[in-house]
Amino acid sequence: MEIKYDSVYYSKNENTSLEKLILEDINLELKEGKINGIIGKCGSGKTTFVELLNALLLPTLGSIQIGDYQIEKDCKIKDINNLRVELGYVFGNPKRQFFLPTVKEEIAFGMKQFSYKLDKIDSRISDALKMVGLDDSYLERDPMKLSNGEMRKVAIASILAFNPKVLIFDEPTLGLDSISEKSFLKMLKMLKNKYHKTIVIVTHDINMIHKIADYLFVFHEGKMVLEGTKYEVFESELLEQYEVVRPSIMEFSYQVLQKKGIKLGYRDDVNDLIKDIYRHAS
Amino acid sequence: MIEIQDLIYQYEKNDLNYIFNKLSLTLEKGSFTTLIGPIGSGKSTLVKILLGLIKVDNYIKIDDLVLCTSNMKKIRNKIGVIFENPDEIFVSETVMDEIAFSLENQNKSKKEIWKKVEEIANYVGIKPLLECDPHTLSEGEKRLVSLASALVIDPQILILDEALSMLDEISKRKIFKILKECNEKGVTILNITHDLNESLYGNDIVLLQGGKVLLHGSKEDVLKQETKLKRAGLELPFLADLSIRLMYYGILDHMILDMDEMVNAIWK
Repeated sequence: MEIKYDSVYYSKNENTSLEKLILEDINLELKEGKINGIIGKCGSGKTTFVELLNALLLPTLGSIQIGDYQIEKDCKIKDINNLRVELGYVFGNPKRQFFLPTVKEEIAFGMKQFSYKLDKIDSRISDALKMVGLDDSYLERDPMKLSNGEMRKVAIASILAFNPKVLIFDEPTLGLDSISEKSFLKMLKMLKNKYHKTIVIVTHDINMIHKIADYLFVFHEGKMVLEGTKYEVFESELLEQYEVVRPSIMEFSYQVLQKKGIKLGYRDDVNDLIKDIYRHAS
Repeated sequence: MIEIQDLIYQYEKNDLNYIFNKLSLTLEKGSFTTLIGPIGSGKSTLVKILLGLIKVDNYIKIDDLVLCTSNMKKIRNKIGVIFENPDEIFVSETVMDEIAFSLENQNKSKKEIWKKVEEIANYVGIKPLLECDPHTLSEGEKRLVSLASALVIDPQILILDEALSMLDEISKRKIFKILKECNEKGVTILNITHDLNESLYGNDIVLLQGGKVLLHGSKEDVLKQETKLKRAGLELPFLADLSIRLMYYGILDHMILDMDEMVNAIWK
């Protein structure tokens, strides 16, 4: 599904004395079937960008093309409601999303709202749990009593149950320890490779997004200022200006190049980096 | 100084799952410690115990005061705390009132209060925000307001309970710079987090696991314990990981946790 922002502006508190421009002239196309990372410092407009994508907010100016849908200022919610089935939005904090006593009811809730046939719901719940790596023993458990990592998986399952084409995550690894983070990243790769989902991740966790993203968009003060593969973005000398740090492993290679004039190349893995260092060490 | 001796705590009386099972820990005055623990290891419970929000019978001493009801007011005036979610803590409509809040509870004159609030706001760099509603600020600015509210009482101990996990690296660095300055002036700092990367900004590390202190020492010493840290589900910070491997290959002879220093040590 094609997703294209065309000269999109968004202002908060429009036509009041508190009016504030949050996003300015956004033009971009998300990469279909890939993991798209949206990065930038706090307050750069990243969250507003994805809230527009899911039509939680409507643009003040410009339009967003999502498949056959067009999101614009004067859109009627009833016209774009079906769009929400195609775009699954997983909130940053799953606790804010849960309100039912069992995992089963929690996952079924959304489907019932979009009037899925009841006999289909049960099998869809099991399938969705399987996709995130949980089995049916979770069905009757209280979602609020799960570990943080499990809660996040249930939150994702409740979205996957719709079978959306696009998955949107806002700060998905916040509060996860490194074991849960690893299993989450593995799941994302599986959703991309096996189920061909387009994935959008908004985050300030540079080390995490570096491990997983295919393509990155950098936001700064309401504008999209830089885009490209992770190598193109993290090699850029403009990053300091946009107040984005590099992942530690790439920062190291960058510093070596700047200070010692030695080109190590940009590595994802410390083991590969060690070989380069060994070759170039004095 | 914070001194905890043989702390035992369970959520319910007959519960066999001990949150703390004879936990003993001493944090020296003027130390800057990062307390690391997996989710559910009792990190936040420990903060509540230190603030007297959860009552325990064990021996806990904060500076020269034993933790008990009659000393509680004095102890709370010594400790500044920054919690994970500032939105749940903010009570005032303006940043100015928010920072002044704890001073108003200390029977100080209006003039004295405003002078102090301005001074702290200036120091933390949020003077232009004094008239704003704290809930409308960015996450980074909210943490700075929380920091100012904690610093305004001139605390001897500053505790951060997962306070920085929501922040981007640049905003984090800004706050750690202020914390470092406070620490150099003698304030004891305890940063509680699950992110081992944050430990690089402090001096010591405590690893909490299974209701006990598993490791306690300088960051250089603790970060060498790769196996124990990994078993606790923690990922080593990049520079610690690189140091350990370079030491193995004989390129380095000690752990280096600073990027510039690392580059200069490899290519002298």
